[in-house]
Amino acid sequence: MSATCEYQAKDYKSDLKPIWCPGCGDYSVVQGIYRALAAIGRPPHEIAFVSGIGCSSRIPGYTTAYGFNSVHGRSLPIAQGIKLANPDLLVLAAGGDGDGFSIGGGHIAHLIRRNMDITYIVMDNQIYGLTKGQLSPTSQKGRVTCTSRYGSMENPVNPLLYTLAYGAGFVAQASPTDLAGMSAIIEEAIRYPGFAFVNIQSPCVTYGEEAQQIKGLKAIQGTLASLGHNPADRLAAMDLAQHYGSKLHLGVFYRNPEPPPTYGDLVKERQALLSKDALPKERILDLFIKK
Amino acid sequence: MATRGIDFANLSLMDALDLAILIEEEAEERYLDFAAQMEQHRTPEAARFFRFMASNEAKHGLELSARRAERFSDAPRVVNRSMIFDIEAPDFDAARAFMSPRKAMEAALASEVKAHAFFVAALPALRDADVRALFEELRNEEVEHQELVQLELDKLPPDSGLSDDDFVDEPSAQ
Repeated sequence: MSATCEYQAKDYKSDLKPIWCPGCGDYSVVQGIYRALAAIGRPPHEIAFVSGIGCSSRIPGYTTAYGFNSVHGRSLPIAQGIKLANPDLLVLAAGGDGDGFSIGGGHIAHLIRRNMDITYIVMDNQIYGLTKGQLSPTSQKGRVTCTSRYGSMENPVNPLLYTLAYGAGFVAQASPTDLAGMSAIIEEAIRYPGFAFVNIQSPCVTYGEEAQQIKGLKAIQGTLASLGHNPADRLAAMDLAQHYGSKLHLGVFYRNPEPPPTYGDLVKERQALLSKDALPKERILDLFIKK
Repeated sequence: MATRGIDFANLSLMDALDLAILIEEEAEERYLDFAAQMEQHRTPEAARFFRFMASNEAKHGLELSARRAERFSDAPRVVNRSMIFDIEAPDFDAARAFMSPRKAMEAALASEVKAHAFFVAALPALRDADVRALFEELRNEEVEHQELVQLELDKLPPDSGLSDDDFVDEPSAQ
């Protein structure tokens, strides 16, 4: 046997007890995150975990990392600010499908095009659970909820296709039905040098439909590896991503084999370039003082 | 239930004991989590049962730890929790708000069955005689645990007939 871990999953678990509904998929997701972080081995104080609002956005509080349960839909810009201010931090962002694809939907594109070195984990339950079961951006067409009494007339957002189309360098999908696979995927996402997106089908036991519960997910799930999918093939990934909602493909859809520089790398480069002729820090105010 | 990176064919007795301890720890932790969830959701009977199961898992873990210490003293552990997933721990979705003691016991019984299946499945790959003996012992213990939980289940009165759906809020206009 090999491999010793300096940090164990329990080192990332805070004393705060989760208050999700018993049976919620998010219990599994937080365990997957603990395990992935233990495998990465960074101490909790070197990790910043940012979320928006929603059931799943409680997740930073359940870890020992620095956490910010922020504003609805704004986890990504805040995570970006943190990463730019302190590039050495490992920055994670998390939230639900409503937080990520509705209220915060406009932010994903920009983090992807900047290639911010952030891992974004979405716990996609196709419903607004915290506010008691309204239609969310990933709810299936025809879904009956308290805000769609006669069935939704809208097509759902496809988070996988959406992020692939924007050019994300790492796109994967996981499920609480496979904790081992999920923690391996989260670990891989964290290790990817650039923006990494992990969509986790995390059932809402209270407002989710029967087909979206663990048993239903198991019936439609299969690994991308078993399909012989090559994660370096972006077009094949986009083809498979179109099955979102009907099949649950687990694994890495796309991993850019030649990751481009991250925004942080470019900022550093620019700083190095511009600082050559710059005044030393202690004289920076001289620029603004008329002599 | 899954494992990652365990080379069963070359598993040493110390590593096997450590894995068994980790399996008990994982189960203890999950039962404690379930108990906390039940307490949070005003389901004290199920919470009490899950705490009872957690204490059993802790007891088994301590017994195994004592054996490990006796045989291998404080030799550093080389296996870790990232190698095992839900072996004896109940599945995450096994808990439900307002679950009855019967449902809680059924969840525990399913976990014991799952753990038994793990040891049965691992046995053919084991080459070390001591490790094999340990796994056989653990497999047999799982059968005993199943019987104990079944006995407790048999003592219970029938369930109320209410299902989880009876406690779910109907969609209502906001």
